[in-house]
Amino acid sequence: MKNIITISKLSLCIFFAALMFSCSSKKYEVHVVEIKQMQFQPAVINVQKEDTIIFVNKDIVLHNVTEQSKAKWSSSTMKPGDTFKLVAKESCNYFCTLHLVMKGKIQVQ
Amino acid sequence: MKFMKCFQAVLFFSVCCIISQPVSAQQKPNLTDPEIANVAVVANQIDIDNADIAKEKSQNNDVKNFAQTMINDHQSVIDQATALVKKLNVTPKENATGKQLMADAKKTQAGLRSKSGSAFDKAYIDNEVAYHQAVINTVQNVLIPEAKNSELKQLLENVVPALKTHLEHAQMIQKNLSGK
Repeated sequence: MKNIITISKLSLCIFFAALMFSCSSKKYEVHVVEIKQMQFQPAVINVQKEDTIIFVNKDIVLHNVTEQSKAKWSSSTMKPGDTFKLVAKESCNYFCTLHLVMKGKIQVQ
Repeated sequence: MKFMKCFQAVLFFSVCCIISQPVSAQQKPNLTDPEIANVAVVANQIDIDNADIAKEKSQNNDVKNFAQTMINDHQSVIDQATALVKKLNVTPKENATGKQLMADAKKTQAGLRSKSGSAFDKAYIDNEVAYHQAVINTVQNVLIPEAKNSELKQLLENVVPALKTHLEHAQMIQKNLSGK
């Protein structure tokens, strides 16, 4: 009987701990930017800090995604069908270094 | 300068010959799908050959990077076209348009090889601007309207945004070169 009470208490503690964790952890969104017809679509994306952005190459040629000011981050070369995941930290402009006229913008709210 | 004017005149003439076809094509199409597939492959191969020369001769990083992108992108298009004709069990057929394009390209490439330094960079990039303008016109006004197979037509339509991006990129370098 004593064991049953102890297990119940333990379960209750785990339940409340999980509840508190789920309340305190913010839910980050996942956004998708498609690379198709030689454009980033959408070209401008509004996100919250720590949201995830997934770039998908739906074009027929190679591309990359590179932060524009100082190349703070960059995907490797993306073949058709490849994806690149980025966690948004700050607003920035980005471009494809293979096709310099392809540009996009991330706006962190 | 004389070379570029001469080249542009030849290119313009060639493209005019091709572009003039849709008028008569309203009664009788001039290019069959196997011929269109051949023209598409030839046009892409010409730009790869030009880019190979640029990689070999240019010392300008913007020009060399552009040339590498031309090699990558046009090879991707050739690969897609080759896969499609294989799937459709079609053999690309040589034709007068493809032969004329290749003959003109040989003359252009000889002219490019005779230059060096900034004169080469300017000639190559001027050529890329004129060539992409001509090819975009040909694809949009001749090849797409005349293609009968829907997958071939779709492939040609998918290539147009890449060609337009190449043109914009070349024009950007052209502007930078003229400002130096």
